[in-house]
Amino acid sequence: MKKLNLTKKYLKYITDIKPRGMQSTIMMVFSSISVAVLLILGIMMYLRVSASSREEMIRSTEKLMEQAGENMEDYLVSMRQISDAVYYNVIKENDFSDKDNDIQQGMKRVYEANKSNIRSIAIYNDYGSLMGAEPVILQKEDPNVTRQAWYEQARAEMENMHFSTPHIQNLFDDAFRYYWVISLSRGVELTDGGVPQTGVLLVDMDYSSISRMMNQINAKNSGQYYYLCDGNGEIIYHTRQMQINNGIYSEDSKKAAVCKDGVYDEFFQGERRKIIVNTISYTGWKLVGVIPYSVFTHDMFDIRYFIVLLILLMAMMLGVVNRVVSVRISSPILKLNNSVLEYEAGKKPDIYIGGSMEIRHLGDSIQRSYERIDMLMHKIVLEQTERRKSELDALQSQINPHFLYNALDSITWMIEGEKNDEAVFMISQLAKLFRISLSKGRTVITIGEEIQHAQSYMNIQKIRYKNRFSFVVDVDQAVYSCCTVKLILQPILENAINYGVGSMDEDEGGEVKVTGKEQDGEIILSVADNGLGMSEEEASYLLTDGNRIHKQGSGVGLVNVNNRIQLFFGKEYGLQVDSEPDEGTVISIRFPSIVYTEENRKRLEEGRLLGGDTPVDKEGRDEKQ
Amino acid sequence: MKSNKNMFILTEAVLAVLVIITAAAMFLGRSTHGRGRVAVIVRNSDESRWAAFKYGLRMAAQDKEIELFVVSMGEDLTAEEEEKAIEREIANGADAVIVQPAPGKDTGKMLKKMRKKIPVLLVEYPASGEETAEDIPTVQPDNYALGQALAKELLKDYNEKVEGKTMGIISEYGASAASLERKRGVTSVLKDMGVKAVWEVSDLSGEDGNTVLERKSKVDFVIALDDYSLVMSGKAAAAKNLHGALVYGIGNSMEAIYCLDTDYARCLVVPDDFDMGYQSLAETAESFGFIFKKPKNRIVSFTVMRKQDLFSKENQEILFTMSQ
Repeated sequence: MKKLNLTKKYLKYITDIKPRGMQSTIMMVFSSISVAVLLILGIMMYLRVSASSREEMIRSTEKLMEQAGENMEDYLVSMRQISDAVYYNVIKENDFSDKDNDIQQGMKRVYEANKSNIRSIAIYNDYGSLMGAEPVILQKEDPNVTRQAWYEQARAEMENMHFSTPHIQNLFDDAFRYYWVISLSRGVELTDGGVPQTGVLLVDMDYSSISRMMNQINAKNSGQYYYLCDGNGEIIYHTRQMQINNGIYSEDSKKAAVCKDGVYDEFFQGERRKIIVNTISYTGWKLVGVIPYSVFTHDMFDIRYFIVLLILLMAMMLGVVNRVVSVRISSPILKLNNSVLEYEAGKKPDIYIGGSMEIRHLGDSIQRSYERIDMLMHKIVLEQTERRKSELDALQSQINPHFLYNALDSITWMIEGEKNDEAVFMISQLAKLFRISLSKGRTVITIGEEIQHAQSYMNIQKIRYKNRFSFVVDVDQAVYSCCTVKLILQPILENAINYGVGSMDEDEGGEVKVTGKEQDGEIILSVADNGLGMSEEEASYLLTDGNRIHKQGSGVGLVNVNNRIQLFFGKEYGLQVDSEPDEGTVISIRFPSIVYTEENRKRLEEGRLLGGDTPVDKEGRDEKQ
Repeated sequence: MKSNKNMFILTEAVLAVLVIITAAAMFLGRSTHGRGRVAVIVRNSDESRWAAFKYGLRMAAQDKEIELFVVSMGEDLTAEEEEKAIEREIANGADAVIVQPAPGKDTGKMLKKMRKKIPVLLVEYPASGEETAEDIPTVQPDNYALGQALAKELLKDYNEKVEGKTMGIISEYGASAASLERKRGVTSVLKDMGVKAVWEVSDLSGEDGNTVLERKSKVDFVIALDDYSLVMSGKAAAAKNLHGALVYGIGNSMEAIYCLDTDYARCLVVPDDFDMGYQSLAETAESFGFIFKKPKNRIVSFTVMRKQDLFSKENQEILFTMSQ
């Protein structure tokens, strides 16, 4: 369960890895592969070098031991030859009683010729009595020869030569001096007074000769060492002989003594080591080379550091190469990406076209795509502007026939009633009205002109309605010079008459009042009537459903006015209806206060607000809101 | 882009640092030779009685990869000479010194002073004097036990019937802590046995021991408390100047062995000087590089030798160390 959680945890780490930049990804992949390859190469190189170094060390050790073994064998052969020379040339040829002096001379000759390697030559009879010795030194009072190991061995196996382990020579009195020797003893037949008898010939080899040979091969103190033991594992020479005797150190010589010649692996006292065994002929002694594994490791010290150094340097070099390669690969893509990002941020950079053929092609495609997108966008904007314009034109065209119909109807009525002055007034008002309506094709006019237009309209209507209501204009002079979309008051006034004061009697005091003011950078024009008013529900329909309340009016309704305001100034502007049944209705028009100039007029007519925003942008922002 | 560049520079910098560290480690590893240099200052350092001790030092130096230097000192070693010798060895680059304290009350004070400069380890016996710093580590035989063992061997030879026997006690430097302890050990065993110490020679330095002993009155046995006095007694016995006294002694030289081998000494107690040498250097070496690891006091063993078992396998191992 715990394992499963752990796996999930690691998987989460992997899945949580966020996409990185292209250059870092390339760099990371290249670096990972480089590091893996370097590590594998390094480890393989180290293993190979260490294996060959180990083999080489073992080979050289074997060679050294072979050489040392041969030297030792030569030495021991020469010792045996000394023994043979004394036995066959001196002892066998002479009688101890008759030619004692010859025996002594013969032994002396042999001793003198080999005294660098031997300590003494001595002959003992059956009873352990000294028959002759060279050099001539005082024998100890009671050396107890027959109980000494070399004597016992020689007596036990008369036909063989016997090599002892190193020991102190306990035979002669050399005043405070004791000698370490290895005894070569053999049973001999000697003649004393014509009587043949057995005895023991002893050649005491100087131990220092053996130890010198061993010291030579042990000279290199590197942890690797060589020792010599006999066939029973008794140590003859060891670099740590006394440490072994004192229990400070130990050696598995018993095991080596039974091994045949060869290389062995062993685990001794918590340490792995190689054992190389070489048997010394005739004696059965074993020359043993010991190479602890720590020596191999120690010898690999420099190689190990060298390989680590090599890996680090190669890693540095590969890091630089990886960097160059990843930059070369990713740079054109990054430049392309940056130019695309700039484009997305609203700038109009040239799309980067460079690098390899594929990336150039990609850049070129993107460039062309963006150009096409720009073109399409421009086309859409134009189409949108055209559409809005046509809508506006359509709205305006909706107004003109209605009004014209009503006005002409009133004039007809006046002419029929021979009210010529009134008809003239009516026609002059109508002329003013149309002059403003036309406004040389402009759709944006001053508020003053709009008020004038409203005044003309209401004068016409008042005649038509026989002055059953009054019309009051109360607009701040300051707002007269501001921009407005033309013909926005007229439909509202028309509604005020149709649904408000139109149906009232003259004595009921119907009134339509137009007010105007600037407030917080906005123009608020209100048309208030004290007519019938309407319920809240009906009022809410006025701006949402243009087809609903057209029973008596022009049919244009307030919806069109509201749409026009919003088309020119934005969704946040437009109409507000406040009405109470039997109290009247107030319709407020709200739009931004913009001073009328030719430039502002053009901007508004082109669908751009004064802040520099395009109509498209304006609509976009509104949609977000 | 910038963070990539920074990461690249950081990685290269880390690798460069690793290269420098590895190269430095490689060269430092090559130039390391051993773990230190130890100087050994003992009286009469060229005498054969130090053979086993020096062999032990050599073996430990080989095992512990220590550079060893045994200072050649004369017979009459004083505290001042010893101080000069230590100062000289410090100047020569010694990292520690192994010292046999010179006789005299000032030695302890001097060694305590020296110990502030360099690790000091004593051998054979502690320094004497009121100022002796008990915390100076010492590798030594149990000198009191040596004396006791010698006296017990004597009693064994006489089946403890030594009532009315006389003895003479001889030591090279009777004032040394070793001699005092050994003497205390001998007398502690013999005090109720009726043995009378007729004379005592406590300073053989600069004198012919043979003549000194010849002048002494006849005793049944001579107790030699150190190697020098044992060899002197043996030589006196060989020259028949000891008036037939049997020599029991403590020694650790081939001369002492010869005295035993030739019956000029009856019994020999041999301290394990090889072990003393090995342990002293090993203890010193162990403290190298470890501030909180101080050398400890060590007691080495001893062996009782008689002529009949002088060349036994075990004794030959001891003789081997003496003959190196």
